[in-house]
Amino acid sequence: MMWLSGGFIFRRGESFYHRLDPRTKLLNSLLMFVTSLLARSVFEMVLVIAFMVGLSAGATVLMRVARTMTFTALFSGFIFVVNIAFTRNLDTSLLYAIRFIAIVVSTSLFFITTSPDELEQVMRMFRLPRDVVFAFVTAVRFIPVMMLDTIQIMDAQKSRGLELEKGNLIRRARNMIPILIPLVVNSVVRSGELAEAMESRAYGAVPRPTTLMAYKARMTDIGVALAAVALFAVAAYSFYFVIPVRFP
Amino acid sequence: MIEFRDVTFVHQNGVKALDGVSLKVGTGEVVAVVGENGAGKTTLVKHVTGLLKPESGSVIVDGVDTRDASTAQLSRKVGVAFQNPDHQLFSETVEEEMSFALKNFGFSEDVVHNRVTWGLELFGLEEYRKSSPLVLSGGEKKRLTLACILAWDPQVVIFDEPTVGQDAIQKEKLAGTIQMLTSTGKTILVVSHDIEFLWPIQPRVVVMKGGRVVGDGPSTDIMQDRELLGSARVAQPQLVELYQEFRRRPRAPFIHPLDAKRWVEEGLRA
Repeated sequence: MMWLSGGFIFRRGESFYHRLDPRTKLLNSLLMFVTSLLARSVFEMVLVIAFMVGLSAGATVLMRVARTMTFTALFSGFIFVVNIAFTRNLDTSLLYAIRFIAIVVSTSLFFITTSPDELEQVMRMFRLPRDVVFAFVTAVRFIPVMMLDTIQIMDAQKSRGLELEKGNLIRRARNMIPILIPLVVNSVVRSGELAEAMESRAYGAVPRPTTLMAYKARMTDIGVALAAVALFAVAAYSFYFVIPVRFP
Repeated sequence: MIEFRDVTFVHQNGVKALDGVSLKVGTGEVVAVVGENGAGKTTLVKHVTGLLKPESGSVIVDGVDTRDASTAQLSRKVGVAFQNPDHQLFSETVEEEMSFALKNFGFSEDVVHNRVTWGLELFGLEEYRKSSPLVLSGGEKKRLTLACILAWDPQVVIFDEPTVGQDAIQKEKLAGTIQMLTSTGKTILVVSHDIEFLWPIQPRVVVMKGGRVVGDGPSTDIMQDRELLGSARVAQPQLVELYQEFRRRPRAPFIHPLDAKRWVEEGLRA
């Protein structure tokens, strides 16, 4: 839960990256995502990650991204072990493991620097159905609330003698029942209340509600987008025309 | 029973929630912790249960340093009724919900059955024994959480905002329960904004502000200190306000601020 919090929850910031047009941030993250899939060698993957680490430093979120990368490395290690066991190929296994980290970081960088409001605007610009946009943005917005709920539920159950860290894997999984049931029930109740509150404030009264925000691309937007496109172009060129550089 | 020794605690977001708090609560005492939102009241009581550990200083509960014991171990001695009952109800039936903690503590089946029956009768929930706790009303859920705690007979009982969502009758019953628990020698901590609820119970009052204890004393003294309560954004009980207003008048007879009946009589006479 905590790595999810650090890696995907927006916190207000004043960096140049935070101030970028959300469309630029989305484009950048999408290009990095695709570039990670296109990269065919560890060297290329390291380049992609280096680019994203550079952006994270510029966005003053390097520590949060580093934490996300550390936690992701645990799953990444699992991917590496499975691959090495089946393929016996160090290069491919490393590539897949690092690719997983790159994909998570590219997504994380977008979410931690883009507010739910900006996210909503971007989705609306793509003319996605309003209900879909609202459901998605509400889900993102409610992650911190659910985390707070989880902590409070855990506190309440621990105060009744529940020991979450005790026992074998099966017992630990069973110990999660007193946490998960109140969490799900609270979420369902809350969503019902939210729906009523929205309807009572005229949600859905008109097909196209007023939009107050108007985005305009600036020089920094163009610069970041061009850098991402360039990296993507190099990766695409390398994917189709160059024999991958093998890690020594 | 409970001792805070110069306790400091800083939340992850850097907010200092407790700042050098020193406090002693004796066995059988009823203590109300009051103060504005964010004053550190809930953080204070979470230290008693071991849910939070002090950054500096120490918290001693019945001779045990909370840093040396898990919350599960401390919960045998300390029961907490949290503000939102929906945060703990999960079982299929009310009976199972009540027996959850008792089973965690390893009580025998007989004891579990007896205590569940006792708790349900005490809080008037016997008819819901086989019902789902999730379908109970807000007040009933609150009573159920209290019954769950009292079932394992902890030495210390903490009520975190017990009157939220309760009607007048339930508040009265709750006050009665607290007085009943006091008579059995339990140590009670009540965190509440509801001054009118606390006033008839006459607890020792601890006033918190900005993570510090700024006032500590008997209800009759603390509740008359308008300046102290005002600084902590706590309202005076209406009866105390009336008392103070009345005392300003010349030749006003002395009426004890707790003597509500005489206040009404004097009020009618005036």
